[in-house]
Amino acid sequence: MEILTSILLIFLIGAIITYFIDGISRKITGITAFIFSLIGAVVFFAKVQSGDTLKFQLGGIDLQWGLNDYSYYFVYIILGLGVLALLYSIKYMEGKARLGYFYGSFLLTLLGMLGVVISQDFVSLFIFWEIMTWASFLLIIYNAYYKVKTKGIKYMIFSAIGAYAMLTAIVFIKEHYGTFIISEAIEKGAFNFEQYIYIPVFLLLGFGIKAAVMPFHVWAPAAYSKSPMSFTTVFSGAMSKMGVFGIGLVFTSFYLNANPENFYWVKLILGWLGGITAVMGTIYALIQVDAKKLLAYSSIAQLGYIVVGLSTGTKLGVMAALYLAVLHAIFKGALFMVAGAVERQAGTTDMTKVSGLIRKMPWTFFVALISIIALAGIPPIGGFVGKWLLYEALITESNNYILVIVIFFSSTAAFLYSYRFLFGLFLGQEEKETENVKEAPVTMLIPMLILGVLALVTGSYPGLVFEPAAKAMQAIGFTDVSWQMSSLTNIWGNTTNLFLISMLIFAVFIIAFIFLTLKGLKKTRYVGTKEISTSGELPKEWENFTFQHDFFKPFERAAAPLYRMNMNKIWKDLGKNLEAFFGFFRKLYTGNGQTYALYVVIFLVLLLLFKDVIFS
Amino acid sequence: MNEIIIKIGGAFLTAILAFTVGMFYAGLRRKITARVQNRVGPPIYQNFLDLLKLQSKSTNVAHGFMGHMAPIWIIIAAMTVLMFIPVLQNNLWFDNLTLKGDLIFLLYMMVFGSLGMALGAGQTGNPNSAIGVTRGLSQMVGFEIPFVMALVALMLQFKTTSIADLMHFQSSTGHWIILENPFAFLAALLSSLGMFRYSPFDIVGAPAELASGPMSEFGGKYLGTMMTGGAVFAFIKLVLFVDLFLGGAGNNSVEGIVGTGLGLLELLIKTFLFYMIPVFIGLVSPRFRTEQAIQFFWKWPSFFGLIAIGWALYKNGALG
Repeated sequence: MEILTSILLIFLIGAIITYFIDGISRKITGITAFIFSLIGAVVFFAKVQSGDTLKFQLGGIDLQWGLNDYSYYFVYIILGLGVLALLYSIKYMEGKARLGYFYGSFLLTLLGMLGVVISQDFVSLFIFWEIMTWASFLLIIYNAYYKVKTKGIKYMIFSAIGAYAMLTAIVFIKEHYGTFIISEAIEKGAFNFEQYIYIPVFLLLGFGIKAAVMPFHVWAPAAYSKSPMSFTTVFSGAMSKMGVFGIGLVFTSFYLNANPENFYWVKLILGWLGGITAVMGTIYALIQVDAKKLLAYSSIAQLGYIVVGLSTGTKLGVMAALYLAVLHAIFKGALFMVAGAVERQAGTTDMTKVSGLIRKMPWTFFVALISIIALAGIPPIGGFVGKWLLYEALITESNNYILVIVIFFSSTAAFLYSYRFLFGLFLGQEEKETENVKEAPVTMLIPMLILGVLALVTGSYPGLVFEPAAKAMQAIGFTDVSWQMSSLTNIWGNTTNLFLISMLIFAVFIIAFIFLTLKGLKKTRYVGTKEISTSGELPKEWENFTFQHDFFKPFERAAAPLYRMNMNKIWKDLGKNLEAFFGFFRKLYTGNGQTYALYVVIFLVLLLLFKDVIFS
Repeated sequence: MNEIIIKIGGAFLTAILAFTVGMFYAGLRRKITARVQNRVGPPIYQNFLDLLKLQSKSTNVAHGFMGHMAPIWIIIAAMTVLMFIPVLQNNLWFDNLTLKGDLIFLLYMMVFGSLGMALGAGQTGNPNSAIGVTRGLSQMVGFEIPFVMALVALMLQFKTTSIADLMHFQSSTGHWIILENPFAFLAALLSSLGMFRYSPFDIVGAPAELASGPMSEFGGKYLGTMMTGGAVFAFIKLVLFVDLFLGGAGNNSVEGIVGTGLGLLELLIKTFLFYMIPVFIGLVSPRFRTEQAIQFFWKWPSFFGLIAIGWALYKNGALG
């Protein structure tokens, strides 16, 4: 199967060509990148089937690339979102500096992610993982090219920790099980917590950092909000799913051949980590004033749900996680695009500066509305299905009942920031400063609308996602995964018929729309946001009615104890303590030649003393 | 064919019943409030007159797209949820779609209307509306927690997530869930105070502070539609509580129209009794501040909710 190699080559060559074409003509850089990614995606979906493998040797190590249904599922996310984001980038990045750098890194990131899911041995997994990390690092610092230290350092540090953890685990797998091939390692039980507990723990650490799991999420808010929005779409939508990909692989293959008693604690810890991630992400999202930051924190929270779903280890739970992974890619991708569109058209996404854009950017608002409803999990849009699966999995199949409440708290509090996002950017007072804002260009709207429509369709026909998800689950060892096209059933036999619900909502909508709105629509005139009831007084032009600061202050006061927990501070304290600790060793370097001479002498003495031990 | 007629007719019948009862109860509440405050008060049918007046007005101003959508979304939420709530037991006419959706779906669907309302209120640009919405959402995070705890307790105890199954359990065994899991009832009752938004939890509308909050920019037909939706929702909440904890209604052996009538009477008595709890508490309470309201729900009600879950597990045999 040389086709896999050639697809990776398409992305690599694309990255190189795009990088250099920027010097020739800045206008076609984005288009070139988009075309290359499109070719790559089309060739992939046309030529590659799941089950294809490619074995070869490199430096005496057996390498194996290939696809099963599980990895194919993630390719949908990577390439689907990647192509749409590159189409979106063309206009979004127009006129910005260093386009070749941006698009080159973008294609390399896609290449890295694609490589991660197609590698079936740990060596290439690690290499592609690093390509992905480094390329994405270049994109995070794109907006702060000369201030690398402050902007990208957290991401780099945590990625490095993750990478080392992963490398350690890989070395130990080779040491204990004598193989680099993932499927062989699984068969030999490499991911079992019973035997060598550090192997799965290190692997989960490596993957968990990419999936922004508590307490390793601190890199995410800055990284997600500082990089260009067109890339954050992929960064949050697809790349975080690489962590989910890994966690799912490790965790389910462990679950399916472990004994339940040992599994209990692992399940509990991972589930609670996910739950706390969801709560903390949510409550920090709702105090943000920057829409990008808000979305970044919300991404962390959503990834928490996915981790919780995986942690149940049951069919419904893993299905919920896989479904949410796709849905999160769809709606969060769309929302980051919305934020990017607002940023491009209005200059900023600070919600205290921008408001009342609904009439200026109606299509963007429409996409934002659908995606937010999907995020909040309200029927009849796709997000609800994920929420339903997750709750039913936790209630019916897991015995961690407090976690259900925690998740419920988080997703109810998510309504708050959902409303904050819509209100902050699109509703509220129409400001003078944003008078001349126009709707985003068509090439930016198209990918947004595609994602919006997908979220809408999955609300009535979640089976479209269930089908590949069920196949993916069978590929990692589940049997008899059942699904229906448009209805949901739990193990107690209770059903929810989504198609019926959508039809009912649609019917009531049409009736109400005709008899309520349409009938009197012609006679109405639009009054501005200043013509409002203010106790009988007419507000003057200069009077300010904007309500954007301290939006959820009462909630903040009520939940004050939760806000006192701050992971950032804990890490900083740890850093300071480590600095003090290693500061002790720095004292060895006195700068005095005589001390160094003494060290040499001490070293030689030690060498002589222990020569039998060392050179035996 | 006959079946379809019964389905459609039943849907209309349910809607009319919900609307009438909801409006009637709202009028009754105004009357009771007046009597407690030593006033004569409006007639009980005053709300119908108000609605008639509102619906006969023509709308002159518009507040943009979401302003148009807000009343529609409220009606959608009210009608959709109504169709999934079992009003009477074993009654073809009130059967509707009760077996096609479960509690989790209902919980989320009930938010749909509030969301439309919130977005509509947001677009008007009135800061009072937006403040009301933020208060309402914050309070929702408060009362949903004990409510969900109560529901989870019921789901665990009876191993079902469907309301129809819970009702069936109560009618077939004769044990009401209020006795089977009293703590769940307590948690749900306390959170229902927040759901009905009467004092001390009337922070969303808060007439003296926010000039009726989210509603303030809506008038005429739109306000009338919202009133209708609100009335239906009041009925829905009451029926939901009766179904979940008080044995439901319509479990009699009398055939035909008399049996249905008796069932409806039972439903009215039970819902009325339940409705009086938030009403009377509202009459004697001043208003909370938002953070006080939220914290109220996170204290005792949530504690009862936790006990309810423990109780359910104990009854269920999961705890030793």
